[in-house]
Amino acid sequence: MNEEVYAAALKNALVEIKNVCPDINKAFILMDNGTIVAGDEQSVDPNVERAINSLQTLAEKATSVGGLDDLIIDGDKAKVYVSQVNGMYSVMALSKHANLPFLRTVNGIVLPTILKVLNGIGSENALPAPLKPAPIVPRIEPRPAPFKSLEEEVEEESEEETVEETREEPEAQELVEAPEEEVEEESEEESPRPVTDLPSQQLIVDKFGGFMVRADTVQLDYEVLERWGSMLNVKEISEVDIETFSGKTTRCKAKVINDQKFEGRGLIRIPEKTCEALDLKRGELVRVKPVVPEE
Amino acid sequence: MPKKKTPQVESTEQVEWTPKVEVKEQVTDLRTVLDRIKVREGVIGYILRASTSAAVDIKDPSKIIDYAVLSGSAVESAESLSEAFELGELHSIVVEGKDLKILLLTVGEHRISVFMEKNVDHLSIYKEIS
Repeated sequence: MNEEVYAAALKNALVEIKNVCPDINKAFILMDNGTIVAGDEQSVDPNVERAINSLQTLAEKATSVGGLDDLIIDGDKAKVYVSQVNGMYSVMALSKHANLPFLRTVNGIVLPTILKVLNGIGSENALPAPLKPAPIVPRIEPRPAPFKSLEEEVEEESEEETVEETREEPEAQELVEAPEEEVEEESEEESPRPVTDLPSQQLIVDKFGGFMVRADTVQLDYEVLERWGSMLNVKEISEVDIETFSGKTTRCKAKVINDQKFEGRGLIRIPEKTCEALDLKRGELVRVKPVVPEE
Repeated sequence: MPKKKTPQVESTEQVEWTPKVEVKEQVTDLRTVLDRIKVREGVIGYILRASTSAAVDIKDPSKIIDYAVLSGSAVESAESLSEAFELGELHSIVVEGKDLKILLLTVGEHRISVFMEKNVDHLSIYKEIS
């Protein structure tokens, strides 16, 4: 998440806490590394920096009491209240007669809530692949044919049958691939096709994960990639567009399936993170189109 | 004239002598108070530190060094924060961890750290000591 937005949200939270507790004279929020995330502009001076360093040392030494949660310093003229919230420290200088129990309650509710919301927004923004709300490539209008569109048939079948059944029946894949062959035949007769007239294929989703797996790379059969390559007169298909039936689309790098047991089964192997982003489950169908490399 | 000089010398001797007696009484009092506090439920122990000596009474002796270091660090940090935010003379410091809390205060030349569980009322301990 953008740090400025984060800082602005926390600063606003501090302002609101100050409004509720007018006894706060100065306030700022520190990261555990000593960086001030948000606070009063006048609060950063050499003395404060020194205080922050000593506070960090104290936090390190406080492991013997289970880590530093709160620090309350009662002085002759004023008080300081330091509180740990989600790995950050809020530091507040208070007037002598500040209502500390009330402040502790407000602080303990407002800051954790704000941080939770900000972290939630941050994690939503950290999706592995860029998503678009609508399909990015216009669908190919099927040419008038004497028989019902095979793609439609497959779609109907996929609605009727369970996902497991779809995986077991090889006919579904054959049906999907049939119009591609027809398109291929036509393409030989016609002039170079426009970019929008790309072949597409429905494939069955298979999830895969692992430590070194890149979220932006999917795996397809060698035959599929080669056929698309020859149809589009390109050496290699390096990227594909994936479209789910819920309308989510994403563009990923394409590689050949590297595990023999998954070859030739009409699968597209998609990393787990990308599956989550697209809201896909294993066995679901997706429409996959090659991306024509720009010259 | 000689009548006026004599009482001045006597008063100077009294001023020098009196504080020494008071310090001894204070240490004794503090130890008594701290020993009384130590038997309270949830109190783990204390460290009483003077300029040249220290008295330590903590239930788990293996923690003494850790607690002593933490006390020193807490005082240092509180002094820095006091300077930064102009708190004036420090009355008390409370360090709360996830498991325990510490009350630190200064009485005369003595620095006291009382270690206790989190549910113990540190304010009543503070009032009793000070």
